[in-house]
Amino acid sequence: MSAAEPPREYRLLGGRIPYVEGPLKVTGRAEYTDDIKRPGMLVGGLLRSPWPHARLRAVDVTKARAMPGVYAVLTGDRYPTPFGVLPITHDETAIAVGKARYIGDIVAAVAASDERTAEAALAAIRVEVDPLPEYADPQMGLGPVAEPIHARGLAGSNIQKEVVQHFGDVDAAFALARHAIRVRGNFAGVTHGFTEPMATIAEATPDGRLTVWSATQVPHYLHRALSEVLGIPMHRIRVIKPEVGGGFGGKSDPLPHEIVCAALALETGRPVKIRFDREDVFLTNHGRHPTQNEVRIAADAEGKILAYDIQAVIDGGAWSSFGTVTTYYNGVLAMGPYRVPNFRYRGRRVYTNKPPSGAMRAHGGTNIRYSVEVALDELAEAVGVDPFDLRARNALPPHSTTVNEFRITSTSFRACLAASRSKSGWDGKFRKLPYGEGIGLGAGFYISGSNSPIHFTPKMPQCTVHLKVDMDGGIAVHCMQADIGQGSNTLLAAIVAEVVGADLERVHVIRVDSDVSPVDLGSYSSRVTFMMGNAARRAAEDLKGQLLRAASELTGHPVDQLVVGHERIEVRHRPDRSVSFLEALHKAMEKVGALTATGAYSSPPMGGTFKGARAGTAPAYSFAAYVAQVRVDAETGVFQVDHVWAAFDCGRVLNRLAVEGQIEGSVHMGLGQLMGESMNYRTTRLMNPSLLEYKILAPQQMPKVDCLLVGEDDPEGPFGAKEAGEGPLVATLPAVANALYDAVGVRFYDLPITPDKVVKGIEERRRSGRAWKGE
Amino acid sequence: MHLHPFELHRPTTVEETVRLARGLPGGFDWLAGGTDLLPNYKMHLNVRPHLIALGGVDELRGRSGGRVGAMTRLGDLERDSEFGASYPGLAEAIGEVATPLVRESATIGGNLLVETRCFFFNQSLPWRESLGYCLKADGDRCHVVPQKVKCYATFSGDVAPALAVLDARVEVAGPDGRRSVPLLALYDAAGDGIRRTHLGPGELLVAIDLPDSARGMPANYQKLRVRPAFDFPELGLAAAGRIVDGRVESLALAAGGLETYPRRFDELTGPLLGERLSEERIRALAESVRLAVRPVHNTFLAPDYRRRMVAVFVRRAVARLGSVPGGTAG
Amino acid sequence: MSAPLKVRINGQPIESPCPDERILLDLLREDLNLTGTKRGCDLGTCGCCTVWIDGRPTLSCLTLARSAEGREVTTIEGISPGTGMNDVQRAFVEKGATQCGFCTPGFVMTATALLRDRPHPSREEIVRAISGNLCRCTGYTKIIEAVESAASGGTS
Repeated sequence: MSAAEPPREYRLLGGRIPYVEGPLKVTGRAEYTDDIKRPGMLVGGLLRSPWPHARLRAVDVTKARAMPGVYAVLTGDRYPTPFGVLPITHDETAIAVGKARYIGDIVAAVAASDERTAEAALAAIRVEVDPLPEYADPQMGLGPVAEPIHARGLAGSNIQKEVVQHFGDVDAAFALARHAIRVRGNFAGVTHGFTEPMATIAEATPDGRLTVWSATQVPHYLHRALSEVLGIPMHRIRVIKPEVGGGFGGKSDPLPHEIVCAALALETGRPVKIRFDREDVFLTNHGRHPTQNEVRIAADAEGKILAYDIQAVIDGGAWSSFGTVTTYYNGVLAMGPYRVPNFRYRGRRVYTNKPPSGAMRAHGGTNIRYSVEVALDELAEAVGVDPFDLRARNALPPHSTTVNEFRITSTSFRACLAASRSKSGWDGKFRKLPYGEGIGLGAGFYISGSNSPIHFTPKMPQCTVHLKVDMDGGIAVHCMQADIGQGSNTLLAAIVAEVVGADLERVHVIRVDSDVSPVDLGSYSSRVTFMMGNAARRAAEDLKGQLLRAASELTGHPVDQLVVGHERIEVRHRPDRSVSFLEALHKAMEKVGALTATGAYSSPPMGGTFKGARAGTAPAYSFAAYVAQVRVDAETGVFQVDHVWAAFDCGRVLNRLAVEGQIEGSVHMGLGQLMGESMNYRTTRLMNPSLLEYKILAPQQMPKVDCLLVGEDDPEGPFGAKEAGEGPLVATLPAVANALYDAVGVRFYDLPITPDKVVKGIEERRRSGRAWKGE
Repeated sequence: MHLHPFELHRPTTVEETVRLARGLPGGFDWLAGGTDLLPNYKMHLNVRPHLIALGGVDELRGRSGGRVGAMTRLGDLERDSEFGASYPGLAEAIGEVATPLVRESATIGGNLLVETRCFFFNQSLPWRESLGYCLKADGDRCHVVPQKVKCYATFSGDVAPALAVLDARVEVAGPDGRRSVPLLALYDAAGDGIRRTHLGPGELLVAIDLPDSARGMPANYQKLRVRPAFDFPELGLAAAGRIVDGRVESLALAAGGLETYPRRFDELTGPLLGERLSEERIRALAESVRLAVRPVHNTFLAPDYRRRMVAVFVRRAVARLGSVPGGTAG
Repeated sequence: MSAPLKVRINGQPIESPCPDERILLDLLREDLNLTGTKRGCDLGTCGCCTVWIDGRPTLSCLTLARSAEGREVTTIEGISPGTGMNDVQRAFVEKGATQCGFCTPGFVMTATALLRDRPHPSREEIVRAISGNLCRCTGYTKIIEAVESAASGGTS
């Protein structure tokens, strides 16, 4: 849904560009990993720990190994090299070594002729353990514990990472403050819920090579992890990424089963497939961290923010994953679209004996921004000012630097505020709707690509794009960027087509294959549009230059008099003098044959020099101001979000269809976390590892979403664009929570807000004698 | 996920079915729509070496007036506009079952006999193994109410309460021939989540019979769940009756999703017959129904909340049956 | 051992030595290589595995292959005309109703059956009809738009 679309300066970009692989997906012809079969392929199976925390005394596989149809049985000692997505926290192993750390941890693996045999073999494995103390609550792991989950825990505790930051003087600011607000948030863990369960196929061949097909967002990091753990140089490993059925961060770590699958292929000499059941997906998790946070905001009499003081205790589960980044983000992403002159943060991520948490869409920003935006709503009420005015008063101007030395370039946050305020009819609704109906505002802020690549050695660009054009005139695009459904293949093709003037159907994005795709770091941290977009543009400019030089030879006009038209190169102001795309191409090929072109992107230096200064630095940031309107059944606590006005700044919109799709999908996912999604644990046991009991929203629960795309061009983004994949989620949650407050006068600090909490909240408010909106 | 090997039998008449059921060593399960049984089989829950598929038995299918074959698919009943107009509360309940895709396969008889559910039961084999199993499958203790005698798995069908308030009967066929019983007599109120019906070995549901009085009877069904699709009921409340000018001519309430069996509350509604309804009377009725039910913590939403919603739903149900004060939202 | 299973799949008669416990989804994907039908949850919730049996949308993960004996099974491969697309599929592409695409074949099967039976459904009817298919990418918004567009002959 969108308002009238502004006039475009580009032929393709800025329009509604249908996804290039759409025709394959709607006909069932798109190939996902589990759709692939290799000759003689075996089935890989995983034995998972039924113990939350246990020392492995013996894993006896003799019986399993002897069973007919069983080709290999692996235990942790075979490939014990630790790995992890971040080089500084390698604490995972392909199969548990020494101890099992959560219910679901892999303790052995088999390769067998079929699923039934694999299952029987797993059942025949005998594991002897000594149970160890079980740590379910991160609060219990903040001090020394009897049996730390990992030896690397801070000073004998289960703390995986502690971040302490202080900029300015927070205590002095609070001493001066006219208003001080405190919010304590409590967030259940949530998980990605992509529809395609993970799947991996691996095949080792007699030429000494290993090929791995996997449903991954990070083919390059998988490539590295395979090499490190299996001890095979990277050039002998080939990673292929088929279509991926959604990721949202859940496929953005190299995962143990991918390495196990490759190991089984090496052991057996046969292709091996590991396909996950849905329960495996839940146990692998890497979803959003269960979090407890506390936000204190100091403000002056007009509501100008003087300081933030923030604490977070983050439940990491059994592994580190992206956790060090998470710990930083829970602080630094709190400041967001506002100027915050004084800032203090203490964040601790704590290991527990639960499925690992990791990166999930709007990683590190979602929970903290919820608490901040709810606190700001309270502040506006305390000051006696409209929530929009409060936020406008504190908005960070374009081209500014934050107190922690983030470089902010473009921001259209004020335009976001103006758009959602007017389109939602805010001024006629806020505190004016009848009891049970409400409207609320939440703001968002997110990185547009992490400035820091995860790996620094060797030093290389964050993205490289190669083009190849042969006499057929088709443009093959090679890049390891991982399309996981977000439309990056389409954007890649459209940028190339736009720059060289070609029809979109001329451009073929080649499936990710490490043998031919130059490195892109993968689909995470909302980096693809910005980084791949810039690299693609440069590659296309390279190709365009080659075509222009050839056209110059053909027309006799110097290059600076030539312009790219649609499928042709024209002489400026001389429409009669032009050559076709193919004529220029064939001329250019005369001496070199097929043309190749390349482009790369590295982000510029930025950020401070203090410890952790790089965390959260990005070449650009997205901004959002969302208004949500809700209806609450005050007796049952059931509520419906009717409408979301999503004003979003992603710079210039390159593919309107994709940006809207990301916003609508983000609203759905954000509402899910708000309304019912939760990883329900009883101590360390996950009670709802199924799509029936994990409550992804039904279509009836989806509000009308108005996408208000008001961003101005970013100075460094490709054609002025910034990210639109994660930022659109953040503002959804606080907008609805603040709308619930407007509706029934209750603040909600515990997510998800299930109907029982609504009923209880209303009852408590009434008991305290506080009436609301003439109820 | 694959199924264990079993032998599938496909009889074509009720008599053949009953005969077949007598001679199968090691036990069997009926296969109706499969939408409840097959997920349970995939999780290795109480699997049997034989399955008797009822899809080929013509007599079990279709509707004729108030008689509905047990194997009639919920989706077909949903599309049957005459049926929906005649039994509005029943149509509401059918339309709320799971999802449209499930309803294309699921049958009305299957929904009446849907397996009771519990967070500790509806789990995979490794999940259950990690807890030492439970009373209802492979184990000897209950994890919901820790003890070793009674299973608290919850009856989770939507259709039974809606049929119960219409005084529906069911026809059962078995080794001793056929019998017709009131629907609720099928369920064992003295049993538990395991011993949940009075069906004898080899007995199957043939048809549901709705009495003439049910046709056109004002009725409704309300379902509590987190999502308006997919989910089993956390509470399902059916109501039927005639309230004319505020006076109760007839009234029945029934609930599912709370305990191990669906139940009616005649002892609570009975005193209201012939009486004029008031806001206080409705509230008192709602409160008495709330106090009569005992949900436990084995589904998504907390039991105290589900119980409170019983009172809200009763008020709303009665309000919808007749225009009375105090039954609306707010 | 039962006799071979006889079933028509996408118009072609098929005979398969199908064990009684074989699930239809496995027959399609593993035995017949009809991989357009997806396995999302394998327990009947997500709708990714939707096919038609005698024209009715059916969860193939909760159907014994033997239950389709003598009947007509239609998969996503069967409703796609040659190398082209039907109206629903075209609308899904044009409206951006497919992102990761994994749920898409299921939605297309559901939506195509809906429009066959009710050529001009209301928005509420569309929402209700697709409420057995889970999509995690789109928030359903563009899926609903695509079905509306296909219903109006691609003009909306």
